[in-house]
Amino acid sequence: MKRLRENTILLTFVLPAFLFYFLFVLVSASGGLYYSLTNWNLLNRSYDMVGLANYVEALTDDPVFIQSLLFTLKYVGAMVVLQNGLALLLAVLVEGRKKDKPFFRTLFFMPNMLSLIIGGFMWMFIFTRVLPYVAEHTALKFLDQSWIGDPIFSFYSILILSLWGGVGYLMIIYIAAIQGIPAALLESAAIDGAGPFQVFRHISFPMILPAVTIGVFLTLNSSFKVFDAVYALTGGGPGRATQVVALNIFEEAFHMNNRYGYASAKAMILFLIVFLITMVQLWVMKRRELEA
Amino acid sequence: MKKIMILLVLGIVLSLATVHAGGKAEEKDGAAATPQKVELKVFMSFPRFKEQFETYFEQFKAKELAEKNIDVTIKLEMPNADQANQILKTRLASNDAPDVFTLHAIADIPSFYEAGYLSDLSGQPFVNYLFDSVKKTVTYDGKVVALPLESLSWGYLYNREIFSRFNLTPPQTLKEMEEVIAVLKRNNVTPFLLAFQESWIPQLMMALSLGGVVSSENPGFIASMNAGTGSYNDVRAVFAIIDLIMKNGSAKPFEVGSAAGSADFANGKAAMWVQGPWMAETILKVNPDMQIGVAPLPVSNNPAGAMINLATSTSLAVSPESKNRQVALDLVNYILDETSSAPLFEALKFNPVASMHTYESFPWVEEASEYVAKGKAYQDLPLPGGVTGETAKMLQSYYTGSVTQEQIIAALDKAWADSLKTASN
Repeated sequence: MKRLRENTILLTFVLPAFLFYFLFVLVSASGGLYYSLTNWNLLNRSYDMVGLANYVEALTDDPVFIQSLLFTLKYVGAMVVLQNGLALLLAVLVEGRKKDKPFFRTLFFMPNMLSLIIGGFMWMFIFTRVLPYVAEHTALKFLDQSWIGDPIFSFYSILILSLWGGVGYLMIIYIAAIQGIPAALLESAAIDGAGPFQVFRHISFPMILPAVTIGVFLTLNSSFKVFDAVYALTGGGPGRATQVVALNIFEEAFHMNNRYGYASAKAMILFLIVFLITMVQLWVMKRRELEA
Repeated sequence: MKKIMILLVLGIVLSLATVHAGGKAEEKDGAAATPQKVELKVFMSFPRFKEQFETYFEQFKAKELAEKNIDVTIKLEMPNADQANQILKTRLASNDAPDVFTLHAIADIPSFYEAGYLSDLSGQPFVNYLFDSVKKTVTYDGKVVALPLESLSWGYLYNREIFSRFNLTPPQTLKEMEEVIAVLKRNNVTPFLLAFQESWIPQLMMALSLGGVVSSENPGFIASMNAGTGSYNDVRAVFAIIDLIMKNGSAKPFEVGSAAGSADFANGKAAMWVQGPWMAETILKVNPDMQIGVAPLPVSNNPAGAMINLATSTSLAVSPESKNRQVALDLVNYILDETSSAPLFEALKFNPVASMHTYESFPWVEEASEYVAKGKAYQDLPLPGGVTGETAKMLQSYYTGSVTQEQIIAALDKAWADSLKTASN
């Protein structure tokens, strides 16, 4: 009886947030599921149910979609490794500072407070105006690249922008985790004569594994759905060289033939992929975590 | 219990709000002397002309009040052109249609008409004033369904000053174009400005070359594509001029958008730019002394292939669901009012579309009109929107070398077939 009461109280606290989540995410998502079975073009008043035809077409007869999926996978791979690696590195470095800790923490977290669209315009300026200028006036000739126009370099530009915007957030999570390590463990390791690297490898890292699980989960989740960074910087271009799945869906729904139903089907496929991969990731990593 | 109370209160507040909003619209009938109140929702993709239209609508309000005793309030919505189409479609689909809205004559009229979102305006007074050539562009299924605002005589832009410095005249064939390019290069002038950051700009090359090739050599192309029997392989000649432009263009085109491109062109960084006269205002802002020329793009060694594109882009339509249809029609007719219309169109730097537009036009419009007078012109081709979008992406990729002509042809054929599939339901 007491348990039930407790649960009710907890649920009441969640209710406002859940209500909004339900109305604006779950309801619209189920709408998307419904439209994915139709051939609606966003304009016509009537449309037909086409069953799974949209799904079949997306997976078998749409090289552009598959190509955007592959590009997204490449991006996700790079982001999971780099974003978590860099965030962890920054967290360790910032934690190692004495007095100026809050300063550096704020500094690295700052880009996270800007919208990536705005960040995109700033970096656009850097890539197209500042870097060529620097290359022209210094010895750093390698900076003079077509950062936005070359398919290879534009991938790096997108990575740089995303990392710049995203690393700070994960860094905060890792800092919190590092601070949660009991000092006694670190001290006894130091007394036993462990060096800084050994301490990190055998004590700190295993202790912060739960944070790594969260970090990888967040990165996986957000990188699969990446839109704003690519949209602001390259718009998926040149051509479709840097088109990620979200951008491909957006283009299908609003730019090309307005195949809204078909775009919804692609969105559902993306959802299923993200869902499966993050579930597997959580399952695998949860098993490896230690209880402190 | 408390929760239920809160919900109840919320519900009451919400329903009150709707009642209030509904009440406002019903204040129509009053004593005969008090003017009738009408609210019009107007949706235009012209944020750059906000001021001009607001002033113009004030004039309309005064006229409507004086002549019909109707007090009109106009709720003007002006989103950016690149988002306007999405916003408009969502509004229409959610049964929240603006009374009067702008759309693209060539790209949007067919699909909007088929979906039933356009009123038949054939019997309206403004139709009598329209030039025949312009009227054709807003006629669909035998009915005039929109009022043309922006009409164009479109060719690529060139820098008249650079051309006259080297005694060049706009080339009419590919061979002449090669000679012009050779002269420019010998004098260290970049022949073409490339601004490919926004994909609609490279797409313009294909629009002009396809128009020229189709109109001069393959007039049945559009019909055969719509019948599902044609292929872009039939008009492969379109790539000749595109290759020539890309090979002789400025460096790093993907870092340059339309604004930066206008500045570069105005500052004489290149002699020619495949863009359109709609950029004139932006270019002249950078360099007021710039002498802009407009010429037809050569597409083959047959001079007849170099033609000016006659197009109507932004047009004004009336929603058939408008609750204040008569006032909406009055507003549309007032756009082509006998006395007020000419100053508006002149201030907007639009081309004349109707008989009352007697103002003097710009030199580049005159230049294009000379070609039109010689019969070197064609009506803009009715391509499906999806094909234009696909062309834009493909030409960007073509420049970077990641797709071949074969792949472009296949992709465009597929995009066309897709558009037939979506249009037919």
